[in-house]
Amino acid sequence: MELGNIKDTFDRVAKKQKLSSSKSQEVIDQVGREIENALAKLQGDPASPVDQKAILVELQTKLSIIGSQSQLEGSQKELNINLSKYTKLLEKSFNPDISKAYRNVDFDFHTVNQIIASHFYRQGLFDIGECLTNESGEPEDTALKSHFLEMFQILEAMKARDLEPALNWVSNNREKLKQNGSNLELKLHRLQFVEILQKGGRADALNYARTYLAPFASLHMDEIQKLMACLLWAGRLDSSPYSELMVPSLWEKLAEELTRQFCSLLGQSYESPLSVAIAAGIEGLPTLLKLANVMAAKKQEWQAMKQLPVPVDLGREFQFHSIFVCPVSRDQGSEENPPMLMPCGHVLCKQSIMKLSKSSTRTFKCPYCPAESSVGQCMQLYF
Amino acid sequence: MEMESLPNGNSAAAVAAAAAAAAAVAPSSKLNQLAESLKLEHQFLRVPFEHFKKSIRANHRIVEKEMSAVISGVADAANADFSRDEAVHHLNSLVSRLQGLKRKLEEGSRTEHLQAQKCRARLDHLESADADNLSDWNNMRLKRILVDYMLRMSYYDTALKLVESSNLQDLVDVEVFHEAKRVIDALQNKEVAPALAWCAENKSRLKKSKSKFEFQLRLQEFIELVRAENNLRAITYARKYLAPWGSTHMKELQRVMATLAFKSNTECTTYKVLFEPKQWDYLVDQFKQEFCRLYGMTLEPLLNIYLQAGLSALKTPYCYQDDCTKEDPLSQDSFRKLALPLPYSKQHHSKLVCYITKELMDTENPPMVLPNGYVYSTKALEEMARKNNGQITCPRTGFVCNSSALVKAYIS
Repeated sequence: MELGNIKDTFDRVAKKQKLSSSKSQEVIDQVGREIENALAKLQGDPASPVDQKAILVELQTKLSIIGSQSQLEGSQKELNINLSKYTKLLEKSFNPDISKAYRNVDFDFHTVNQIIASHFYRQGLFDIGECLTNESGEPEDTALKSHFLEMFQILEAMKARDLEPALNWVSNNREKLKQNGSNLELKLHRLQFVEILQKGGRADALNYARTYLAPFASLHMDEIQKLMACLLWAGRLDSSPYSELMVPSLWEKLAEELTRQFCSLLGQSYESPLSVAIAAGIEGLPTLLKLANVMAAKKQEWQAMKQLPVPVDLGREFQFHSIFVCPVSRDQGSEENPPMLMPCGHVLCKQSIMKLSKSSTRTFKCPYCPAESSVGQCMQLYF
Repeated sequence: MEMESLPNGNSAAAVAAAAAAAAAVAPSSKLNQLAESLKLEHQFLRVPFEHFKKSIRANHRIVEKEMSAVISGVADAANADFSRDEAVHHLNSLVSRLQGLKRKLEEGSRTEHLQAQKCRARLDHLESADADNLSDWNNMRLKRILVDYMLRMSYYDTALKLVESSNLQDLVDVEVFHEAKRVIDALQNKEVAPALAWCAENKSRLKKSKSKFEFQLRLQEFIELVRAENNLRAITYARKYLAPWGSTHMKELQRVMATLAFKSNTECTTYKVLFEPKQWDYLVDQFKQEFCRLYGMTLEPLLNIYLQAGLSALKTPYCYQDDCTKEDPLSQDSFRKLALPLPYSKQHHSKLVCYITKELMDTENPPMVLPNGYVYSTKALEEMARKNNGQITCPRTGFVCNSSALVKAYIS
């Protein structure tokens, strides 16, 4: 799809439209002038007589000449041709009907409304979320909303270089953060330490370190040592070997990490699930539309199916689960039909192995290598 | 600085690492996907263009009507026997008519210009998408999709707030939906006038698509007259407005005409249904279909279309299990509910995700099997062994072994 070509075609349309418009104005002006002329003749000298009929007939003739000479119709026709050309170009370059893959199933709009409201809370658009809850009349998810409100308040404070709310939150959730393997608290204190060093000076920074950094000494000795060395460059840290601690992007990275931990502790995903689902839809829809077209041509039933007949390839970021597909039977692994590891290292699903071994009576050869094995030598795998 | 990441399957740190790995995917495939996804934006370009065409047609009609009125006005004057004063008076009225036309045309021209600009702005917006601003552009797209949903659901305040907060004015079609709302509200109030006016505005295009919507509106008005027992008026109405449709829709015409013989509370099933208020809902649905077809819009909200596609593509039996990772949208009840009637996704090849790192286990990072059958990626197990003197602890079962006991699995 050549956007440049489409833009050029539209420019032609706009040009023709301007042309047609100016032609109309031209004709109107011409007609107007002739009528004015006739008026002037009629009104000219109040004393001398006039033949109004002759003047009117002359006017009529003049107007019909203008009518036949005007290229008004021609320019309008050209405009219409270009308009339909552009429409056809759009239909050719884009998919004119993306609803062909839509299934007429019960898509409860109440659920959708609630999903959208939660999405707005996640994005920090609280007033828009509230407005939606009001207009749609859905019940408000106050718990979720207040959690994200808290998170955004912390983040807003961080944007203003105020780490207090963030530090409060991490100390309240110390245990859970430790379980998650996060050292967010140390990072925040480090940032605060550097801030104090730049603004307050050595004494304040040293006090801060004694209070807040000391507890981390046992686990993160080299990091603490680095920070202590920074005291030597108080006020001019940017010329020290530790200038990377001054970088503004540190704040953004820390804000992102805080968001991740906050969401994780909440049992929520980092990305808004609506964003993820829509992104997956945008990636997968072209394949589904092609499929719907092919099935419609073959008169196959699109609406009711338990499983899509073709794979829809999505990016890696959408792979949330391990899916094992047996290379022999193309069946997907499940509880009843789990993947089994053969001694040679190849993996087949249980049913395939049963078939090859004639229901576990005989040894069989792996389809991929000359190795032989028996059912007893196969081990169930857990991904 | 070193991260003490414990091997916890749901660790936020692991997810971050996996996301980073995914983001490092070759940019060309992302651009390909972007190009493919742009092809889905037909409605985005078509709607303002249809609006533009409509203005052009309306302005053409005004010009035609006024010009022919003026010209025939002159012809009348030439044929009649006017006195001098009468002639002057007549010509003056024609002049002011022309002036009125000029003014209307100038205003029409301004409208057309704005609409053309809108069309161009949309083309520019599509062109502006590239590798650098991809996530912002996608974010805008999501917002556009949400605005489309709100407008269709009549949540106008929310739509406007979203439009203003993100400067989407040129990229959404608020006026188009308002136009539809006027007609729909009237129909829901059992008034056909705005709907009939709409049909008149779009007469030629409705005729081209062989639409019988106007006929159905007229039928409903007829039935309302019969319901009010204004039978004589009903018949006059039918003569004027229903008869022209007789050649193409005789059967339906006859069926509705027969209601004259019944009272509105008749129990006769064939005719009872015609008197039901549900018929008005049917008209609203018909209007929505005609309207969307004319403007090149989908009948369903864009949100539903994309959401269904996404849910189906993501849906696996594992999503409905209790230990489904929170990063999967289908771990949420609301999404699970929506996805229930949709088909599962299908895979032709194995795609395995390491429980610890959430990264793909492929030929570069092959799966390794512990003696208890649990599988993790090479990278995760190498890291674990490095930190624990070669000792491997299965994070899910607690099973302990040495890294020498690991076996490589070959998954195609």
